Amino acid sequence: MEIFDILDTLCKAPGVSGEEEKAAGAVMKLCEPFCECVYSEKNGNVTATRKGFDKSKRTILLDAHIDEIGLIVTDITDDGFLKVAAVGGIDRRMLLASRVTIYGKEPLMGVITSTPPHLEKDSKDLPEVGDVYIDTGLSGERAKELITRGDKVLVENELTRLLGSRVTGKAIDDRSGAAAIIRTLEMLKDDELNVNVAALFSSKEEIGEMGAKTGAFGIDAEWAAAVDVSFAYVPGDDKEDCGEMNKGAMIGVSPSLSRELTEKIVNTAKSKNIPYQLEVMGGRTGTDADNIAVSHGGIKTVTVSIPEKYMHTPAEVIDLDDIENTALLLCEFIRGLE
Amino acid sequence: MMSVLNELEGLCALDGISGDEGQVREYILSQISDKCEVSVDPLGSIIAFCKGKKRSGKKLLISAHMDEVGFIVRYITDDGYLKFSPVGGIDPRVVFGKRVFVGKNKIPGVVGGKVLHHLSGSEKSKAVPFDKLYIDIGADSKEQALSAVSLGDSVCFEGGYSDMGELLCAKAIDDRAGCAVMIDLIKEGVEYDTYFTFVVQEEIGLRGSTAAAFTVDPDFAIVLEATTAADIPASQGDKKVCQLSKGAVVTFMDRHTMYDKELYALAFDIGREMNIPVQTKTMVAGGNDAGAIHKTRGGVRTAAVSVPCRYLHSPVCVIDKNDLVSVGRLTRELSKRIMEL
Repeated sequence: MEIFDILDTLCKAPGVSGEEEKAAGAVMKLCEPFCECVYSEKNGNVTATRKGFDKSKRTILLDAHIDEIGLIVTDITDDGFLKVAAVGGIDRRMLLASRVTIYGKEPLMGVITSTPPHLEKDSKDLPEVGDVYIDTGLSGERAKELITRGDKVLVENELTRLLGSRVTGKAIDDRSGAAAIIRTLEMLKDDELNVNVAALFSSKEEIGEMGAKTGAFGIDAEWAAAVDVSFAYVPGDDKEDCGEMNKGAMIGVSPSLSRELTEKIVNTAKSKNIPYQLEVMGGRTGTDADNIAVSHGGIKTVTVSIPEKYMHTPAEVIDLDDIENTALLLCEFIRGLE
Repeated sequence: MMSVLNELEGLCALDGISGDEGQVREYILSQISDKCEVSVDPLGSIIAFCKGKKRSGKKLLISAHMDEVGFIVRYITDDGYLKFSPVGGIDPRVVFGKRVFVGKNKIPGVVGGKVLHHLSGSEKSKAVPFDKLYIDIGADSKEQALSAVSLGDSVCFEGGYSDMGELLCAKAIDDRAGCAVMIDLIKEGVEYDTYFTFVVQEEIGLRGSTAAAFTVDPDFAIVLEATTAADIPASQGDKKVCQLSKGAVVTFMDRHTMYDKELYALAFDIGREMNIPVQTKTMVAGGNDAGAIHKTRGGVRTAAVSVPCRYLHSPVCVIDKNDLVSVGRLTRELSKRIMEL
């Protein structure tokens, strides 16, 4: 399967944190040819174990989160408008005049309201998430029939090719990580390995890495790699805070990660001539690695991040070559584990 | 009802920012050329003369604009990002993170900026000004960008036409709604001889209508528009301006025009007589081609009939289908009564 199609299948599935069933379903369908897949009702995670699991061998855990940021309905007004709260780090700059899907009894279309410029004296201030309304086009009565508090809302955007190997869409954070892992499992499918490979497609990362905490507990792993997205440089940002697009995976270097394992994966990249870049952090990483590393008595953990632009907007941009190179790096890294 | 809605859906799918209305013009010409005498003026507006069943001594013009708000590419950075200017009045708060199409080949792009996680406190709560925004088409260099786009390329919001039950959502309803109503009137046939103008460049200062109204030289004019409805929970009372599902909007005054009092009253009389819902605007705000048309030559007695529209000048304009029908019915009767004044 083309990497675009894998990513497209994953990004299409809605999965606001806490309601990842559809995203989980998409992941399982893609992994089933190479893995035993289990979806846990208890924590919303999918665990995929590579076929031929051998209890006498040690296990490497590959993690990517399958939840995405979104909105949650907090109230429905008598005239059919919705009030919402943020699920995860919502970028207030992209809210106004966005088309949304409301996951009520059936998917409904809505619009985040904005006041037109003709009536505004100052149009510089951005409203708080809690201050915007969503126009459902429904009467209050009908809206209350179809929508309840707690329903999720997403700004959706179909995955679309830009120039070269770039694509744009929503939920690329972190379905691109999931795509890289699925590609890795596919490339390893005929390999005789010295280790077991388990993949954790975790829930609720965007609201505090909760899925990884419970999910990693269920897998007795020796090593782990958290595969997420990280910041790629765009104009206006500081180069020292960012990786670069199309330069390969960003390997994390951080006091909270395993130095030994980090060196190992860097050496793999060097010896196999796979592009990579380093992402140095001063403590926690803000990824699932933070929880995985201290799980189950401690797991040696690395982060492998795919550079991404405009994170947490419906216009995230990623380079498909970076996803492929991330998969290649993980693949060679696993082949080298004893 | 279906015909005017079908017209609108077709028209909203087209791209045509001010000064680049060719696509819209070609489509409209294809719809009306066999129904009336058409010509295209030097600025690109369509002037159509429709013969009616009857004549009167008066000359009536019905007008709507073809252009929509959008952007224009004005610079390409060394690393391949497109810097742009707004064309028409666009709130910078509705631009970030939106998908757009650039140029004739509709190259997809996104409007981006620095990532949320790297913003300072005040940056998080302020709209990104236009000079700090750029369009990312996936290019890594100016050279690569120039292989797909050029300076001066038009940029349009991604559209999409969504049925919301009684309401519908699309881009460019301002003023494809007016165009749709006029096409419908022309196809149905008019009672009296009538001029129709589908004009260019309204959004950058009523330019097409200035030229076209001079050419037509009418005694009366009806401007068909989409006007601001702010009937959302964030505005109350008169600040709602006008409301969806409450009918056609007839304006007494806006920022460019003091409308003809007799025509204003006539529109409400017709509404009462024919049971067509008609409302007015409760704020003196906005403006439209009437601003140019009523000052044409020695002056033109002018009325504006508008469909109330939420989120005007954004990619998600929302109107009530029934209001569009009311605009059509009111305009048909008003045009007849004007001839009989």
